[in-house]
Amino acid sequence: MNTGQNDDMEDAQLVQDFRGGNHQAFNTLVSRWQDRIHHFAYRFFASSDDAAEITQKTFIKAYHKLDTLDDVEKFGSWLYTIANNLCLDELKRVGRKRATSYEALKTAPQTETATSADGQILRNEGLVLLHKALLQLPVDQRVVVIMKEYEGLKFREIAEILDESENTIKSRLYYGLSSLKKTFDSWNINKEVFDYE
Amino acid sequence: MNKETARSLFMDYLYDELEPGQRKELEQFLANHPDLQKELEELGDVRSMLQHLPVQDPAEQLVIVEPDKSGFQDWWNEFINSWIPQSKIVRAGFTMASLLILFVMLGAFTQLNISINDNGFQLAFGEPKEPVQQGYTTEQVEYLLEQVRQENAAMVAEAVQAVQENQDQKLEQTLVNFADYIEQQRRNDLQMISSGLNDMEETYYTRFRQTDQVLGDLIQTVSRN
Repeated sequence: MNTGQNDDMEDAQLVQDFRGGNHQAFNTLVSRWQDRIHHFAYRFFASSDDAAEITQKTFIKAYHKLDTLDDVEKFGSWLYTIANNLCLDELKRVGRKRATSYEALKTAPQTETATSADGQILRNEGLVLLHKALLQLPVDQRVVVIMKEYEGLKFREIAEILDESENTIKSRLYYGLSSLKKTFDSWNINKEVFDYE
Repeated sequence: MNKETARSLFMDYLYDELEPGQRKELEQFLANHPDLQKELEELGDVRSMLQHLPVQDPAEQLVIVEPDKSGFQDWWNEFINSWIPQSKIVRAGFTMASLLILFVMLGAFTQLNISINDNGFQLAFGEPKEPVQQGYTTEQVEYLLEQVRQENAAMVAEAVQAVQENQDQKLEQTLVNFADYIEQQRRNDLQMISSGLNDMEETYYTRFRQTDQVLGDLIQTVSRN
């Protein structure tokens, strides 16, 4: 079976094919999911290197553990679970270093942008602050915000990935967005900042 | 609906996962509660700001390279995998059967001999040998038994004598104690009798004096008359 044929297949069928010995099926899964996992990890760490490492580790782990996946229909959720666990492990491994980094972010940034006449500069700085604000969220809220806001997962899917109830996920998202609102207010960032294109 | 219930629906509303009926009910409630309406709009603003967050695509496409299956190791792994069943239960049975065969082969090679008889459990490598009986002759056993009997008789005699002496001592002590008791009882009785006689003598003397006095008074009275 060549790659072209694989492209039209469902994830579940590709998983079955890989289990049956079709190695190329896994590469199709990689090409299909690599961007999403990379984006998830990038938003989690705000680092391309970390995102690349997490993405690589996620697919290597998936490659070795794919036989243990009970429900092939849930390959995507299972992949996110692996990626999320690897992100948490990485955070734990270099916790001290990152904690220092977060401390630096907690200092309110200089808001010269508020008086700057150059809208594009304002917008660029706003984007940087946006990511900093996201990184300041507690990890459990940050993960939910990323999965919901950027990955577009349903509450039921996020609950399944994180092994929590849907209400817990909604609660974390509510507090996450509320917390971001307070941070944006304290940094004088509003949605008009991003209107410059 | 109250404010808490309305807040609990905010996330479903913002991400369009609310049932149409609930959505309409929430919107009607918000129309009467501008503070909640404002809070929801602010959360919506946060959402729209988050959408501007830039993201980087991966620098290179990951490819999992198919392992080279030409090596002996891979051939061996495939060979083993093709023979070993995939089911855990069957695999456990397969393992146990393999171990049993290995055990039997090793047993045959080492001439392992396991037996259970009146003497107990025996584990031996090679043919089991009858245990060599090494000990005393009949005469020696009889002589030893005689010695034991004599020693036992002497011990019993000594024990009987010791018990007899002990009993004699106890009997003698008991007799002495009884004699002392009798003697003490006799003395007590004599003292009681003596005391009784003294009391009786004193009583008779008192009564004699009283009688004598009464008679004296009677004589005086008669003589006056």
